[in-house]
Amino acid sequence: MRGWDEGEEDRKESLKRLTEAISQSGSDIWRSWRIYRRSLLAVVGLMLVLSVVTVSIFASDIAVEHPYRNLQDTQDLWTRDYEPRRAHPFSEECDWHEQSISLTQHRRDEIVTVVAVSDNKVGESIADGYYRDTLSVIELLSLKDNKGYDLNTSLISIDPNNSSILVLSEELYDNMSLTTIWLTYEFDNEAMHLWWMPDGYDVCIFGTNNDGQDMFSKVLYGSRVSLRIGITVALLTVTIGTIVGSVAGYFGGRVDEVIMRICDVFFAIPGLILAMAFVTAMSAITSLTMPLWLGILIPILFLAVVSRTYLTSTIPQENQLSNQVMGSLVRNRNIFLGLLVFFFFVGLIPGVSWSELFGISESREWRLSAAIGIILLLGLIGLADKRFIEKSSFDGAEERVSKSLDWTNPWKYLTLRTVAVFVAAFVLFRWSGSTDDEIVVIENFGRLWKIQAALIFTGWPGYARLIRGQVLYVKEMTFVEAAKSVGAPPGRIMFRHILPNAWAPLLVAFTLDIGGTILSASGLSFIGLGAAPGTAEWGLLVSDSRQFFVFDPHLMLFPGLAIAVTTLGFNLLGDGIRDVLDPKNRR
Amino acid sequence: MKLHMFVVRRLILLVPVIVGVTILTFTISHLIPADAAAAQCGDKCGIVVGYTDDGDPITAYEANRERLGMNEPLIIQFGLYVTHLYEGDWGESSTYHRPVADVVKDAAPITLEMAFLALFIAYPLGIILGIISAVRQDRMFDHISRFFAIAFVSLPIFWFAMVLQLVFATGTESSGICDPLFGTSGGCFPIYGRHDPSLTYPVDGFASFYPVGGTGFHLIDSWFVTDAELTTLPAEFGSNWLLFKDTLLHLALPCAALGIASSGSLLRYMRASLLEVLHEDYVRTARAKGLSESKVVIVHACRNALVPIVTILGFSIGGAIGGAVLTETIFAFNGMGRVAVKSIQYLDFPVIMGVTLITAAIFLLSNLIVDILYAVIDPRVRLE
Repeated sequence: MRGWDEGEEDRKESLKRLTEAISQSGSDIWRSWRIYRRSLLAVVGLMLVLSVVTVSIFASDIAVEHPYRNLQDTQDLWTRDYEPRRAHPFSEECDWHEQSISLTQHRRDEIVTVVAVSDNKVGESIADGYYRDTLSVIELLSLKDNKGYDLNTSLISIDPNNSSILVLSEELYDNMSLTTIWLTYEFDNEAMHLWWMPDGYDVCIFGTNNDGQDMFSKVLYGSRVSLRIGITVALLTVTIGTIVGSVAGYFGGRVDEVIMRICDVFFAIPGLILAMAFVTAMSAITSLTMPLWLGILIPILFLAVVSRTYLTSTIPQENQLSNQVMGSLVRNRNIFLGLLVFFFFVGLIPGVSWSELFGISESREWRLSAAIGIILLLGLIGLADKRFIEKSSFDGAEERVSKSLDWTNPWKYLTLRTVAVFVAAFVLFRWSGSTDDEIVVIENFGRLWKIQAALIFTGWPGYARLIRGQVLYVKEMTFVEAAKSVGAPPGRIMFRHILPNAWAPLLVAFTLDIGGTILSASGLSFIGLGAAPGTAEWGLLVSDSRQFFVFDPHLMLFPGLAIAVTTLGFNLLGDGIRDVLDPKNRR
Repeated sequence: MKLHMFVVRRLILLVPVIVGVTILTFTISHLIPADAAAAQCGDKCGIVVGYTDDGDPITAYEANRERLGMNEPLIIQFGLYVTHLYEGDWGESSTYHRPVADVVKDAAPITLEMAFLALFIAYPLGIILGIISAVRQDRMFDHISRFFAIAFVSLPIFWFAMVLQLVFATGTESSGICDPLFGTSGGCFPIYGRHDPSLTYPVDGFASFYPVGGTGFHLIDSWFVTDAELTTLPAEFGSNWLLFKDTLLHLALPCAALGIASSGSLLRYMRASLLEVLHEDYVRTARAKGLSESKVVIVHACRNALVPIVTILGFSIGGAIGGAVLTETIFAFNGMGRVAVKSIQYLDFPVIMGVTLITAAIFLLSNLIVDILYAVIDPRVRLE
């Protein structure tokens, strides 16, 4: 057994290779950048994307208030408060606050002061409670009695020690005919003062919405939602589409035909309408449980395994043992293909229908055992690797483990695949939880998750078709033949030869798709299928503004512009990348 | 391959897709949480309606389940679903209290009218700008029009429609909304609706002046309104032309929103296609013959560059129908999109599935026609 000291040469070699690879990619990136910056539009696109990403990261720092802050809380002191509704951009009213004070209550409670603050209530969502701010009063603007007649503002004064406390004068208390007074004051909402704006511009720059919330903050926070949806959906659709598409491309023939017909089915229904139907259908699902998750995962993993097997079988020097095991998969691929189609459509029905389908009683035990059984099955399929089967005896297991895990040279394992596996594991771990009777993959499968699921559901066929065409094209090239003839392992052919030559249009489509997804997601939100009411989501903000947009166009203008600018940024970026990847520009 | 063989082959290819669409809609409609049996009997589900042979009571709910075939295995249920679809029994809408087939039949022409008119705007705009862009490659005009092409693609269509409403359909004075007839008050368009409010009266749940028996496309129906019917109308709509103009004006903004949004991708396709053709040998030959540049571009290059544009037509129709969901919601057209959105709010699933099926049917049909058209124009396609 080799020790750490013996592995030094290997470590050095691996490190050297890594450094070389990094410096090589560094120069590649530099060259690509020089091509990229030729186009002004592409640079503008990159700037837009970068600024949107920056804004979304620092939204909580730039925003003037939390998007859920609302002074029109239905509680205590603030019941009848008035926050400037639909105040126009740069209007002074943004800093005004109107408040009603019940004098009868004050007389009864013998309170001499009235405070312009309420407790700061902090919550992450509307359900948890609104955000409130401490208001320090700058100037009293008007004072009215309950009939609307003006009173002298000197009847109320600001406490010199604490500008959040208003002191009612004796006169107000003595006058028994007054029951309620309305007070308007200008407050110094510290949050409203944008630190990056010059003095004198401490106003809301996008105005306020119908609930008196600052639109600027809402739009800023909206970037988080949109980017999250855009990037998650695009990543997952790319993954699914690549797997399905490459399987179609490799198998060709009947397999290709079946997969492409499935894609045609998806193309036959306009994406937005299909997504609408899908989101509605999912309205009862509150958490993504294991059976449901597996219903989505199994077809994909199956395709992945089959494609791997197929690749393995095309290599001449093939390990006999793995052929025996995996060969049956290939031989019976029609049956498996039937199963695939079956799982694809039926597997998406929630767990209840699964048990209906197989006639098994619907119990917690059944679901758990089914889930565990399927996990084991998947594990077995995953482990049915060439190397694993080769050494599937327990003699000298310890030695083999130490051999197969070369800890003297840990750098060897720092590959893209390892990183990807770890990231995937982390993401799954992060999202998963458990309720009483289910293993839950994604807890709180809320409305945002549902749009994402719907967009993935409708989006993958596009990628499948794209990557299929690419694989068909690259598969026939001489360098693939050459790699095969020198006996390169299938994984190497796939990752080193075919995918690097097929990824260019994929990357472009991916970038363009982020923009497209943001558009579709906001469209779904607009018709009321997306984010929950009150969420800072751009589509929803536009939708909320519909009844006021004739007189208060700013409510709809800014969130819409945000969508347009973000999408434009990604589209320009995609175009720029296309130019960079275009062989004609490589000189 | 002969053309008719191509058509037959194309039709055969359509069968699995249709089967797939029905499987897909069936699956989605079985994802629904709402129990159709419970929805039909409402609060009377517990009432005993009969007894089994063994003397056990049967509640209304159980009877409904039995009647709707919900106790059958899924495969049998799918068979029933397909049979019902084929017989035209698409279920009963709980929102409109009418058969789904009727609801969809009324709504489809409205969406189609909007989508087709939008394409009438998108195609000329996209093609002409695309041609100019390609001819003036890498000049100022090209850069600007390419930027706008990308910008149009990036516009959220619902927002763009609202901006159009704001600019063209609301008055400058603070009083707001303007008279919905072009020319009468400062030249602005009607803000929403399919025709003037004075022309509408409720018929069967839909506000419409036009007789039910027409084509449903008001641009066509307006020419078939009889003189007797015209006399019952307000004076400003007293002729077929005025009715037509009214419909057209109401369609203008939604179609402009849809059309401009879809012209962006067309422009790019046309530009790419024409640039490719301009490098062909026959274009060089035409130039060598001494033809004028405009003749070379228009007669020789464009005709060939337009051929691939035909193929996108099918997809554009699908895209326009998808976009119409949003514009209809904004402009208050009772087309398929608005019907679907409304039924989603009330979880009226038969209508949603009906809309999904009918859009799929329209899309497949238009793609079929486009493919055949393509094969007629470009015989090379048939050789595959």
